[in-house]
Amino acid sequence: MERIVLPEIENLHNIDVYIANNGFAAARKALLMSPDDIIDVVKKSGLRGRGGAAFSTGLKWSFMPKSTDKPKYLCINGDESEPGSFKDRQIFEFNPHQLIEGIIITCYAIQAKSAYLYIRGEYHKWVNLMETALETAYARGFVGEEMKKTFNTDFSCNIYIHKGAGAYICGEESSLMNSIEGKRGYPRVKPPFPAQNGLWGNPTTINNVETITNIPPIINKGWEWFSAIGEPKHPGTILFGVSGHVNKPGVYELPSGTLLTDVIYNYAGGVPGNKKIKCVIPGGSSMPPLRGDQLEGIKMDAESLRAAGSAIGTGGIMVMDEDTDLVKVLARIAKFYYHESCGQCTPCREGTGWMLKLLNRIVNGEGSQRDIDLLLSVANNIEGNTVCALGEAAAWPVKFMLMRFRDEFEARVSPHINLEPKNKVHSMRHTVNPIDKVEI
Amino acid sequence: MPKLTIDGKEVEFQPGQTIIQAAATVGIDIPHFCWHPKLSVSGNCRVCLVEIEKMPKLAISCATQAAEGMVVHTNSEKTLAARKAVMEFILINHPLDCPVCDEAGECKLQEYTYKHSIGESRFTEEKQHKEKRVPLGPHVMFDGERCISCSRCIRFCTEVAGDTQLTFVQRGDRVTINTFPGKELDNPYSMNVTDICPVGALTSRDFRFNSRVWDLSATNSICQGCSKGCNIQLWVKANKVLRLTPRHNQEVNSFWMCDEGRLNTFKNINAENRINGPHLKRNGGFTRVSWDEAFSAAISELKGFSREEIAYIGSGFATVEDNYMLAKLAKTVSGTKYIDAVPHLVPGSGDAILRTEDKTPNMLGATLTGMQGGKSIEQILQLVSEHKIRALYVIDEDLVSNYPQFAEAIKKLDLLIVHAVNENATTQIAHIVLPSASYAEKHGTMVNIDGRIQRIRPAVTTIDADRTLDGLSLSRLDKFGTEYDRWGRSDKIDARPTWKIILGILSAFGQRSKITMADELFHEIAENVPAFRGINYDTIGEQGVVLNINKTTSVYGEKL
Ligand SMILES: Cc1cc2nc3c(=O)[nH]c(=O)nc-3n(C[C@H](O)[C@H](O)[C@H](O)COP(=O)(O)O)c2cc1C
Ligand code: SF4
Ligand code: SF4
Ligand code: SF4
Repeated sequence: MERIVLPEIENLHNIDVYIANNGFAAARKALLMSPDDIIDVVKKSGLRGRGGAAFSTGLKWSFMPKSTDKPKYLCINGDESEPGSFKDRQIFEFNPHQLIEGIIITCYAIQAKSAYLYIRGEYHKWVNLMETALETAYARGFVGEEMKKTFNTDFSCNIYIHKGAGAYICGEESSLMNSIEGKRGYPRVKPPFPAQNGLWGNPTTINNVETITNIPPIINKGWEWFSAIGEPKHPGTILFGVSGHVNKPGVYELPSGTLLTDVIYNYAGGVPGNKKIKCVIPGGSSMPPLRGDQLEGIKMDAESLRAAGSAIGTGGIMVMDEDTDLVKVLARIAKFYYHESCGQCTPCREGTGWMLKLLNRIVNGEGSQRDIDLLLSVANNIEGNTVCALGEAAAWPVKFMLMRFRDEFEARVSPHINLEPKNKVHSMRHTVNPIDKVEI
Repeated sequence: MPKLTIDGKEVEFQPGQTIIQAAATVGIDIPHFCWHPKLSVSGNCRVCLVEIEKMPKLAISCATQAAEGMVVHTNSEKTLAARKAVMEFILINHPLDCPVCDEAGECKLQEYTYKHSIGESRFTEEKQHKEKRVPLGPHVMFDGERCISCSRCIRFCTEVAGDTQLTFVQRGDRVTINTFPGKELDNPYSMNVTDICPVGALTSRDFRFNSRVWDLSATNSICQGCSKGCNIQLWVKANKVLRLTPRHNQEVNSFWMCDEGRLNTFKNINAENRINGPHLKRNGGFTRVSWDEAFSAAISELKGFSREEIAYIGSGFATVEDNYMLAKLAKTVSGTKYIDAVPHLVPGSGDAILRTEDKTPNMLGATLTGMQGGKSIEQILQLVSEHKIRALYVIDEDLVSNYPQFAEAIKKLDLLIVHAVNENATTQIAHIVLPSASYAEKHGTMVNIDGRIQRIRPAVTTIDADRTLDGLSLSRLDKFGTEYDRWGRSDKIDARPTWKIILGILSAFGQRSKITMADELFHEIAENVPAFRGINYDTIGEQGVVLNINKTTSVYGEKL
């Protein structure tokens, strides 16, 4: 099987090795095409974003306004903070120049002169690797003013690396832009969408690191080649980060549509001690968990996973064997979202803490049956009512854990505990007057 | 105009309007905390979520633009469920300390809890604790636990006051408000955040714990701090003004007022040094006399000076009515041309938001009714120092403090009659002191810097109450408190509006008038002064009207 994003080539991070393996040929080719033609090729390739939502990349690019005097921007999302997700850092480490080449092509396609590569703050090592790679690419004349000479073109663009400061929420695209602008990492209310009103109010495209790294091969080999790989509706390879109870955890680049069981058993070496699998989260911690007895036949692509009641997310596969305490797992996941909620909007700000407090009580054996129903109700009250998708990211694990593993939770609560609210007192009286005037 | 349907009602809207704005035009009030008509949309409180047909999720009505044919439900089952859920979330960590919270009674959260919440909490956990009683600046106190993170205060500072002093810090339910390192919340408009904060998180350090707001009455008036004439309300209990708040007037001050105006224009009303009853100087000391005695003393003294020997000093702090009557007195009794008002220009004290350099609320009104915009005041005082002018009649100005260089000359006057609210350096050397009602005790009109005439109204009663035109608004306790209640027995000052005092003097002069109320007097003014033609108290109303005046009318010799 051919690997596209992380080819099996020794020292590919070295720019000479990269050039010797056809490096920057795609950029050379793309810069001779029209931007619209590139967007067209990417559209036809069927490439879908690898940052979580699996949105068509070519379509996203086509939203960028053509006739505008405003500067346009590209942001490359390498914030990678979702628990269970650790694949973009492989690109920073092993194939940085293909990412740089992808950025150059994307900038040209959307006519951006500046690209911001946003890297997770805790990734010190990978920030350094990426900075070194970028400096080399500049020095060799592949980026910046010099690229005009190198590629014999009048287009040039600059790439800036922006280090995050340790907030998961800055991976959310509008929050990421605020962060780059030097503001608090608060997601923006959408619409307006980034293509209309992005970085400093200008048209902006945001793509995941892996998404962009797929661009050079697509330009080199054509959309027909790419769209034939894996599942037609979600073609190409995907970097699966496999973690948890597997013998060989790691990142595996496999064609989309590979069976989940194949990823776990054939590539990741199966479960230690040959234990049974109780639960798998297939796409990073915010995606709905699947039961061990649901896994047979599930293919790893956006459409198949949706049909199976989950989502592809960032392809971070977390495997949990039969001895796993799922109540604790959920409490740990809830703690993460509680810690990372930016606090901007009410349901997520308040609800994440409430869910955590309920779960902690259940973990400590102080929960009641009522707490389980309450937990579900809180999750439902968050879902769909928030500014950004972190609300869903926090609610889904709770909702689907309770849906698919309710027995585990019921076994943990005592039938004897039935707490009545201590502060049952923000009482309501029914006002006779309807809302009769508009108040400020 | 395009139309959408809200709760079955067809609503026309301007393109670009959001659902919440379109709904407001037909009186549908979609609940909201963070949205404010004069601030940017932040969309964070989520209380304004509504159901829109053909949309998969509920949408926030503050940020969603109205569209032709859109069908919105603000009271559907789904909408109500979400609203209740959001209300529950807001309340779980809220301390629910209304009984000791200053905001109670005018709290949006309290009100919405009654209207839109299920009334019971399912939250049995420990609440999140935060900092309480944090002074954010000289005038504003912060309670972190009450804050609902709506960001109105932050947006106000940045967008209206033009000074980014507040920010959120921390994340999740630990989020709280703070000032930037080394900064305070101390911009000239800082206290507006206490008005727009929907809860009791930001309170006025000046007013905190002075009264429950439902024990106060609110009277519409005009700020006396500068010539902007911001629309305000005077809040009174037991005949005392306890606070001022801005009143919405899009043409003047929007929803805002400055801290200077809010804090420093009412404390003299309740002050110890109020002048109570008319006083005559006898044997080096003051004797309190009856009004009639004071009137005849004044007129007999005034008659002793020729037109070249006397001057009349009006005031931009007095009303149109007051200045008009002063001009009438000067003309009728003395026939003098020496008449002007005192200018109060403070260069550099204005800004592009509200504040103006002219610290009087009514210099333009004084000028339109006969004063000379301060142009001849120095000339008059020069003549005083040359002892050519030997008598002065001064209303509502502390001439001695304003012109210390002429203090000695003023002391040597043969006659000094002064109308004043409070004792000051000028009243001390006066021969006749007449207690004038403060702006909070009378009806009247003032013309602001933009030529807008606006009304002030009595909020506090004096012994000679300015008979009320549209009813003095009394607080519940002022009305119904018995004389045994503290608030039932209030002290009343013996003072009268300047125009009324002058009516009394003219009457002692033999010129009786049928006028007893300010609006009747204004009627006379409207007939005699072209600028006011066709206007009356009713047409001025709550928001004022712009006078049709020659824009070259000069105040301080400047073009308008
Ligand atoms: C809370 C939150 C965190 C996110 N974190 C990341 C991230 O770390 N990396 C990423 O690529 N996308 C992340 N996303 C998704 C981005 O908002 C965005 O959809 C993505 O970067 C688009 O790239 P793509 O179209 O190439 O997938 C996150 C979204 C949310 C709601
Ligand atoms: S959903 Fe959570 S993370 Fe997203 S804006 Fe609201 S509070 Fe912030
Ligand atoms: S202090 Fe008041 S205005 Fe400011 S964010 Fe909190 S609740 Fe809103
Ligand atoms: S700007 Fe002038 S009128 Fe307005 S509140 Fe301040 S002092 Fe009063």
